[in-house]
Amino acid sequence: MSREISRRALLGGFTGLGSLLLTGCSREMFLPPQVRGGLVGAADVLTMGANRFLQRDQPLAREYQWSDISHPFPTWAQTNPPDEEYQRLRRGNFAEWRLPITGLVARPVTLSLDDIKRLPARTQITAHVCEQGWSAIGEWTGPQLQRVLEEAGGALPAARYVVFTTYDGWYESIDMFEVAHPQTILAYRLNREELPMGNGAPLRLRVERQCGYKNVKFLKTIEVVDSVAGYGRGAGGISADYGFHWFAGV
Amino acid sequence: MASGGQRSGGGQWLRLHSPNVRICHWINVIACTYLLLSGIHIFLDFPELYWGHTGYQGYPAIFKLSDWGLSWDEAGELGNRMWGRNYHFTFAWVFMINGLVYAGWNLARGHFRRSMLPGRAELTSAHLRAELREHLRWPRRSHASTHRYGTLQKLSYLLLIFVYVPLMFLTGIAQSPGITAAAPWLLDMFGGRQTARSLHTFGTVVFVLFVVVHLLEVAAAGLVNRVRSMITGNLRVPEGEA
Repeated sequence: MSREISRRALLGGFTGLGSLLLTGCSREMFLPPQVRGGLVGAADVLTMGANRFLQRDQPLAREYQWSDISHPFPTWAQTNPPDEEYQRLRRGNFAEWRLPITGLVARPVTLSLDDIKRLPARTQITAHVCEQGWSAIGEWTGPQLQRVLEEAGGALPAARYVVFTTYDGWYESIDMFEVAHPQTILAYRLNREELPMGNGAPLRLRVERQCGYKNVKFLKTIEVVDSVAGYGRGAGGISADYGFHWFAGV
Repeated sequence: MASGGQRSGGGQWLRLHSPNVRICHWINVIACTYLLLSGIHIFLDFPELYWGHTGYQGYPAIFKLSDWGLSWDEAGELGNRMWGRNYHFTFAWVFMINGLVYAGWNLARGHFRRSMLPGRAELTSAHLRAELREHLRWPRRSHASTHRYGTLQKLSYLLLIFVYVPLMFLTGIAQSPGITAAAPWLLDMFGGRQTARSLHTFGTVVFVLFVVVHLLEVAAAGLVNRVRSMITGNLRVPEGEA
């Protein structure tokens, strides 16, 4: 009897504590789109939950000085997508490159590189932290993703993720909590020069609180969605489909 | 640590390890094995170490596996960072929760204070020197410390639990872009992400050395008897030595 009561009190306590911690936050910001099974999945939830709890006030990733910048900035994975359309756009210096923003936005829109360069830009000197173990510091310039979405009238209330596809055949997604972060930008400049091809010309995503593989290069499309189930195997990114963490904060 | 003791056959059985110590010990064995293997996998995928905030191929390295005969490509073939990352973070949680249960329980029951905190007399240089000399003698002459930790053992356990483990934890999370955004002091504490990664890797070597010494000690103190005592809780003490 008394054991039953104390167990109930304990459960009640946990629930109370849980709702206290979640106040002002949506439940989804603590969970990846597809929770894996077993111990690995349980650890994913703990890792993302702990990170997001620590990040609940949206702290900025450290910003460094110009003198800290890594020269030359390393390039990794795809450095020149063989995609025919990409090669054609590159030869034309990306004058014909267009970024469609579709899905759960008020007014779907297609932006040119000049449209994006006309938006107010943020410049940040941050560390690119690759999940392999290396890190390099660079200065990135571009509009905040939130601001870019405003060009499409902003995300609708049902929006939960922003999905990016790229010219190197990649897709990746981030949730609205990450979209809302001031350092989440679409960069067209690295170290005060046009974004080099090896680093994702003409435009790449910067998500400074997550590992390198979330920071996709060679952006092709942006779609705002309430579920990532329609993409790939449904884990929210090619790397996550393979078995990497969708939440790449560690 | 020792309590009770009933007669049985040709010696006495000593109640040596509490259920908490035994359960946590074996969970720890599993967690540490996975942490070590997955850590090696992660390292092999990028087998160079640096100092400071940045480090990448071409940046001056403080350690390159290729200098030791294993090329970048060969190491990459052996390592699987996806498997490594998945299991490293999984068993980091297992290790941490298990460690908190162990530490919480033993703090509450005074195990650390009673069994691990060395007395004033034990910390004199004469005592430590005598114990070290006795320790290095092979084969061991006496089983005098069957049911009590030796001073060196106490000190190494305390260092391990209260210095080494916290440092490994901190150098681990100091590599996370998510956690360091919320706690940038982690970067300053170690002087950069790459320094933290290097210290974390050196710490792995320290851990392997600890396990080697630990296993040698267990073997020297009686392999079967000691392993059995960590499973059943009871240590067999031969006649006349209790």
